[in-house]
Order: sequence, then structure tokens, then C-alpha cells
Amino acid sequence: MSDQNNQQDLLVVDQIHTFIGQFHILESVSLSVAKGSITVMLGRNGAGKTTTLKSILGLTPPREGKIIFDGMEIQGKRAFNIANLGIGYVPEHRAIFRALSVLENLKLAERKKGDFDRNADFIFNLFPDLKRLYKLPGNHLSGGQQQMLAVARALVPDNKLLLIDEPSEGLAPILIQQMMEAIRVLSEKTTILLVEQNFIMASQLALNYTIIDDGKSVQSGLMADLVNDPELIHHYLGASIKTRKELEMNHESQD
Amino acid sequence: MNPRTKKILTLAISVVVVIGVIFALYLYAGKEPFIRTTLSGLTLGSLFFLVAAGLTLIFGLMDVLNFAHGSMFMLGAYMGWQLYTNPTFIFGLLPTILAFACGVMLTTVMKPYLIRWQISEKWQNALPKIAYALALFAAIVGFLGLDILGLAKTAMVAMTTSTAGNPLSEISSQEPLSVYWYRPLLMLISGLLVAFAVSKPGDKTEFAPKEKVLPKLVIPLVLLILTIVSTLIRESAPETLLLMNGNWRFLIAILLAVASGFLFGAITEMTLIRPLYVRSFFIVLLTLGLSYVIRELVQLLWDPLAYQMSRPPLFAQSGKAANLLDWLRNGYSTIDISGVTFPTYRLFVIFLGIVMFIFLILLMTKTRLGMIIRAGVQDPQMVEALGINVKKVFTVVFAMGVGMAALGGIGAGPFLPIQPQMGDQYLMQGFITVVIGGMGSYVGAFVGALILGMARAFGDYFALKLSLSPALAEASTVIIMIIVLLVRPQGLFGKKE
Repeated sequence: MSDQNNQQDLLVVDQIHTFIGQFHILESVSLSVAKGSITVMLGRNGAGKTTTLKSILGLTPPREGKIIFDGMEIQGKRAFNIANLGIGYVPEHRAIFRALSVLENLKLAERKKGDFDRNADFIFNLFPDLKRLYKLPGNHLSGGQQQMLAVARALVPDNKLLLIDEPSEGLAPILIQQMMEAIRVLSEKTTILLVEQNFIMASQLALNYTIIDDGKSVQSGLMADLVNDPELIHHYLGASIKTRKELEMNHESQD
Repeated sequence: MNPRTKKILTLAISVVVVIGVIFALYLYAGKEPFIRTTLSGLTLGSLFFLVAAGLTLIFGLMDVLNFAHGSMFMLGAYMGWQLYTNPTFIFGLLPTILAFACGVMLTTVMKPYLIRWQISEKWQNALPKIAYALALFAAIVGFLGLDILGLAKTAMVAMTTSTAGNPLSEISSQEPLSVYWYRPLLMLISGLLVAFAVSKPGDKTEFAPKEKVLPKLVIPLVLLILTIVSTLIRESAPETLLLMNGNWRFLIAILLAVASGFLFGAITEMTLIRPLYVRSFFIVLLTLGLSYVIRELVQLLWDPLAYQMSRPPLFAQSGKAANLLDWLRNGYSTIDISGVTFPTYRLFVIFLGIVMFIFLILLMTKTRLGMIIRAGVQDPQMVEALGINVKKVFTVVFAMGVGMAALGGIGAGPFLPIQPQMGDQYLMQGFITVVIGGMGSYVGAFVGALILGMARAFGDYFALKLSLSPALAEASTVIIMIIVLLVRPQGLFGKKE
């Protein structure tokens, strides 16, 4: 159905334009995600990375352009239909359901009965903390635990693609390490499109990158090439890139 | 002070205050008036709860203030009363509704084929509109031929002329059965046209995989069979129903009231409210307008009169039951509760409220739907992103809320005059209940309804005893609301924004 050349691409976003109210947020974003790898979306705050994820999922449907997932055009479809094709979403700010217990949060993500039972071992292996906490209500969890729950929730059904938005945001360095390890393990199982401000983390995980700047996709390629191109990094990502040192300082000031 | 101790302290203080108030009232009023007034308060509170629970659920999930809730309460009373007293009208209506539903339910079968239809964009836009217009036309032809207003009038005359004696006296069918088949047929066609329009023929952005057709045919087929059956039995059924035990008939009346409320709520949400979620202010105007439309329609169908519904036999036998068992065995109209004579039917209303509260607790904590609702209150977008059809959940919750209001209506039927404005007071008190209890909290609605019921009952008691104006009782609920808003603006069980 889709392009002959892109058979190994699980997701192709082709020049989408998204409006939120009157505002033209995405002005032609294109990217592709190769099957079985991690692709990272980079860019400054407010560049349109989160909106791109939401557009793919149909939460903010694009007005123009095409989105092809697994050989099927999905733009304009309702969000729940798109999700049910096998896309898991981990939103930024750990949007777990605070009124629900950990177990209920996970159970809610089931698409078929038994999804959770089938994948419970895998999830609890990845995040052993959650097993201990599974009766607690969501609002009793710490920030890191909430983030783990948000990722775990996307693993309950067998998703083909995970959209993960800033998994390291606001986490302590040790938790960032743990999260990175978890995402690496996940990438062996599914394909991942990641939004990440932490450049160190992004560069260690991702195979491909796409840079979004001011609502446009401006550059994409292999992560290995980008790492060796400090000029490009500085030009598009500039101040938004956090060095390891900066992150540690950030964490200390939070304590 | 840490938040935990603060919480416990507030709880302790409120418990002490509540017990203190109850004790003071007990000492002041004396035992018998106290018990009687408390039971009256519980009865009122039960009705307030049935209205407020739906309001609060709908507001919590969808941010919709449903001003038509009182009209839906009233509609429930009318439907239940009509079935209980004279079902002819309802059985005349039933086949047409079933036939229409059958047609609409075929959407799932038609849709996968229709959206793959290759037509130009012009036709994509035009065809649904044409189909809607034709559907309306078919429905109007069906209903005009049906002479539904006339039927209702006949039913009413029969009801009013046959007071205590034989309720069957003047009911007779209006026309031969063969003529009657036209109406379900026209409504079926109307339903099919709506299904066609809803399917959005040719719209490639719509999503519907081609799956096995047979399982999808089950519901329409069942509805079709029910249509045929209900058409065939529409003459004999009312008689059978009126001859059966009044208690069972009352139970059926309750079920019908709830079912019609549920259906009415679902249709209202899908057709009128759904397009307006982005402009929530218009929903307030819409539901307010809808309440007037419903009232006018009810006056058109049933005339602007007040009707009295007789109590089912279980509550009708004059006499006083010594205890619960004695009542259930002999069906007395009053019962002795620690020396106080109290109407048994009001006891039933209290029971109804408690059952619905337990039902709600179980629904919200034990079922997947409850889980979805609790999650949706916080973040409907994320629920949708998990692959759950949130629009459908909205419809179900709205329908459920209206169903509960309708249950309140039929529950109140046997002791309130059944008239077009009977729901107004309950809508008002329902809103006050929701504000006191906290928007979106069903536990809050329960506690708020209890407080309001008691305030009304004791307000009436004191007004009588101290020969004050009875308006005091009505004012007391508003005063309580103001106090709660001053002390705790989010309501007793509300969450801080």
C-alpha cells in the first residue's frame, strides 16, 4: 500500500500540518521510524515534538499531510482506533491516573482480556518497584515511580510502536540510568519513537534522529553522524541540550 | 501540622459536630417527632441523591451541567405512571421505537462497505444530509399516520374515567392490525436512513475493518423479532399487564422508566450534546432549552394536568404493620417504627436510594467502566490514547445519569402529583446537593443529599412547631450551601483544583 522504498519503516510521517485552535503549530513535519530501532526526536522546547507525537496518535489530528503506520494511512482516524492498531503512548509529565491504583492503571491499559497477565512478568522484571507498590493509589507514588508506571502502562498490550515523551524529565541521575536501561530492553521487543531533551541519553540509545525546529522537521539521519557534528547540534539544539553536569546540578537543587 | 493529622482532626471534628447536632435535635424534638422527621428527611434525601448522583457523574466526567435533569426526572415519572396505570400508549409506541433502533443498529454492518464506496467529495457531503432529511420525513409520515397524540388522549380518558373500578373499561384498539404494520416499517426505513448517514459513505478517513457480518447481525435481528412480537401483542399485552399482580407491574414500570431514561439520555448525548463539547457554555443553554421543550411536549401529550398515581398493592392495604415481615406479608400502607407510624412506601424510597448508592460504589470501584470513569475525570485524552472509545463512555455515563433521574421520578410517582413541573424543585435541590458534596463526587452527592433531606425535614418540623413560615425549610438548604461554600469552596468531598 505504502511506498515501495519504505518497507522497513514502521511509521512514516509525511509533511503534516497541525493546528491547535488558531495556531499553526506544525508546519510540515516529516519523519520515518525504522522497524525494530529507536528513533529520537530532538529540538528546543516548544519546537513541536510533543504535538508531533499527539498528531501521530490522533489526539491533535493533522489538517494536512499523511501518516502511514504499518502500511496503513491513519491520519484523520479517531485516537482510540489508532492506539488499537498497536501504538503505545507515554506522555510527558507522567500522566498516570492518580485516582487509580498501580494495578488499576495497568489493568486499564488492557485491550484484550489477559493482556496484563501475559505481560506482567516482563513488566515487573523491568520495573521491580512496581510489583511492590501495586496496591497503592497513583498519587502516592514518587515522581520516578510514576514515570515507570507510565512506561509500564504502554507495555500492557503488545504494541508495535511506542511513543515516549521525555522519559528522563525531572528524574534523579540514578533513575535516568534505570530508565535508559529499560528503554534499551524494550527496543529489543518493539519499535520506539522517543522525544528526549537529555542529549547524552538520546545519543546512547537512538539509532536515528530527527530534529524539529519551529514546527518544521529540519534534519534527520544517523545518530552516529550527529554526535560528530557539534556545529549542527549547537545550531538547532543550542541551549536546550543538557550536559551531564547540568543535570546533576539540577537534581541537587531539587533536593 | 502535617496533612494527615489535619485530615484526621477535621474528620473527628465533623463527626463530633454531626453527633452533637443529632443529639440536640433529639433532645429538643423528643423521640417520636425526631424519628418521624428523620425518616421523612431520609425519604427526601433519597430522591435528592437519585437526581444529584447523575448530575455529579455527568459533571465530573464531561464538565456538563445538565439543566434538563429535572425534566428527565419528570419524564421517568410519566413513563412509569403510564405503564402502571394504562400501558396502551406505551405498547403503541414500542414497536416503532424498536424498529427504528433495529435500523440504526445496522450501522455496524453497513459501515465497512459504505466507507469504501468511491464517490466524489460533493456526494460525500450531500448524501448524509439527504439521508437525514428522508429519515425525518419517513418518521413524520409514520407518526402522523400513527395518530400518536390521539392514542395518548384515548389512553388518558380511559384512565381518568376508570378510577378505582376496572381500569380496562374504555381501552380498545383504534384500528386493525394490518394498518399498524406500516408504522414500524416506516420507522425501520427511517432508522436505516439514519444508519446510512451515520456511516459517512465514501469517507476514507473513517475506520471500520471488514469483519464477519453474522455476529453483527445478532442485535438488529433480535430487535427485529422484538418489533414483530411487540406489534402482534400490542392489543393483548396491556390487558395482560393490567390483570397481573400490581407489584410486578410496578416493578416493570420502574424498569421501563429507567430504560426510557437511559435511552433518552443516550440519544440526547449523541445528537445534541456531543457536537458542543468544545463550546461548553452552549451546552448549558442547550440543556436549559431542552428542559422547556420536554415540558411542552409532555403538556402536549398528557395535557397540563396533575395526575395521581396509586400505590402498588404492597403499600396500599390500609392498616399498620407491626414489623417489616408483617408488612411484606400483608402489604400495609403504614408501618410501626419504635412507636412512630410511617408510610411504607416512603421506606421503599429510602431503600431505593441506598440500593443505588451501593450500586454506584460497586460500579465505580469494581468494574472496568468505573475505572475508565475515574480515569476519564482526570484525563480523558490519555484514556483515549490507551485505545478506549471515550465518546462511547461519555454516552453511557450520560445515559446512566439520566436513567437514575428517571428512577427518582418513578420512585416519587406514588407520593408526588405527576405534573410537568414536578422535576423543577428536584433539579434545584440536586444542584445544591452537588455543590455541597463536591462536584464530581458520588459519595459527596450521597452525603449532601442526606444533609439536604434532613435540613428540609427538620426545617418543616420547626416551621410548624414554632409557627414560622414554611419557606424557612427551603431557605435552610441554600443557607447550608452558602456556609459550605465559605468554609470549603470545593464542597465536602470535592478535590481542590
